[in-house]
Amino acid sequence: MSVFMDLNLIYTGDRTGLRTLLETAAHLGFSTVAINYVFEPTSKKKQVKIVSSVCKHLCLYQGRSRPIRVLNRLTVVMSDSSHFRPNATEYRSFDLLAVQPTTEKLFHAACMLYDVDIICISVSEKLPFFFKRAPVNGAADRGVVFEVSYSAAIRDSTLRRYTIANAINLMESCKGRNVILSSAAEKALELRGPYDVTNLGLLFGLSDGDAKEAVCSTCRSVLLHAETRKTASGIIYTMRSCSDSAGQEGAPGDPEHGGSIIDSQTIKPSLASDD
Amino acid sequence: MRPRLVSDVSSVGRYLLCEVIVSDRSRLLLLDDRAIAIAVKATVARIHGDYGAALCSVGFSVKYLNAHTGIVFLRMPKRCYKLLWSALPFITSIETRGEKIQCFLNCLHVGGTIRTCQKFLIRYNTQQLHRMLPKCKNEEEKQQVSQALLNCTLVGGTDEAFEDELRSEEDEEECLPNMP
Repeated sequence: MSVFMDLNLIYTGDRTGLRTLLETAAHLGFSTVAINYVFEPTSKKKQVKIVSSVCKHLCLYQGRSRPIRVLNRLTVVMSDSSHFRPNATEYRSFDLLAVQPTTEKLFHAACMLYDVDIICISVSEKLPFFFKRAPVNGAADRGVVFEVSYSAAIRDSTLRRYTIANAINLMESCKGRNVILSSAAEKALELRGPYDVTNLGLLFGLSDGDAKEAVCSTCRSVLLHAETRKTASGIIYTMRSCSDSAGQEGAPGDPEHGGSIIDSQTIKPSLASDD
Repeated sequence: MRPRLVSDVSSVGRYLLCEVIVSDRSRLLLLDDRAIAIAVKATVARIHGDYGAALCSVGFSVKYLNAHTGIVFLRMPKRCYKLLWSALPFITSIETRGEKIQCFLNCLHVGGTIRTCQKFLIRYNTQQLHRMLPKCKNEEEKQQVSQALLNCTLVGGTDEAFEDELRSEEDEEECLPNMP
């Protein structure tokens, strides 16, 4: 059985609504979800805070005996290059990092330079720029994925046109690889089951195999990429609940560096800047 | 039953097993199969235009609806089932008896015959009962659920309602390239 993930559930501040959302996602068969905190630097709001211990007793998901896994994700809506500060300390508490670029220069920079996991393709407007092969391939080489959200398409007809237009535009440049599909659901009724999402991928221009990958294996590679980003390419692994603050362990999730356990004294800072 | 002829190719279908998910379970009982058929046809017309509406009028039907659990079987012709299926996620509400119920359809399984969908449904319902077991509030409910679990079997035999029963199993091989 494949594991399905939905990495974009928008956080709206409503805790009971969030709980229903997670229960519905568990019922539909998603093994992992990520609560998305959208941060817009241009608006007046202050820094976002994570809802800790959202659900004490998490619901079991379809066909498994383990409860659904809930991650935290931050999306920075960028209209200027100063909005995203790499290596900021606030970003450390989030498991996944995403950016949503609004201009072509920012898109190029996000693909080639920024240390993020996901690049969101905006759905609320027809993108003013086209996707060029060079940054898209550069992002694919680094392991950064592109995300298309579908709940706007379900809500409104004009947004549907923009979503499909932007998605098809993207698929032409990236040839259907390195894409994830996710809802940007705020309520439980905006979610869709994993097979339905796979079918929606066909509407967005993906082939059958690519569409299924977009819901399971590419999402899993995003999680692994996020782990290697947090753990400095898989060398340092910090445990929160230990008595000493940092335990050292080699993370097997990074294929480039193998699975060897490296002693803490031998870690060189130059290895961390690899990638 | 007569053997299947080559000319029967156009009558081959795909049966989609879907579950209607609502926020308020008591509203489920208001549903009937006509309401679901109308909702699906309207959505297909909205998403795929006149072409979709025309495809829907040939070969699409709601075969079975269980209002208590929200399970519905949809039958579609094989040549265009993906197109019609791609419109199903866009259903946001179903109108029945003057009320609009906010809901969506979750597709559980695609099969070539009703019998395979039935077999899947039995397995699925067994899993649901297993999930309910730890949530039982008292011993009596636990007994009921355990009894129901032990009684889950496929009712065999020649039931004329399932007229595709003897159709060849090779239909299903191309059915689910993507499903596990």
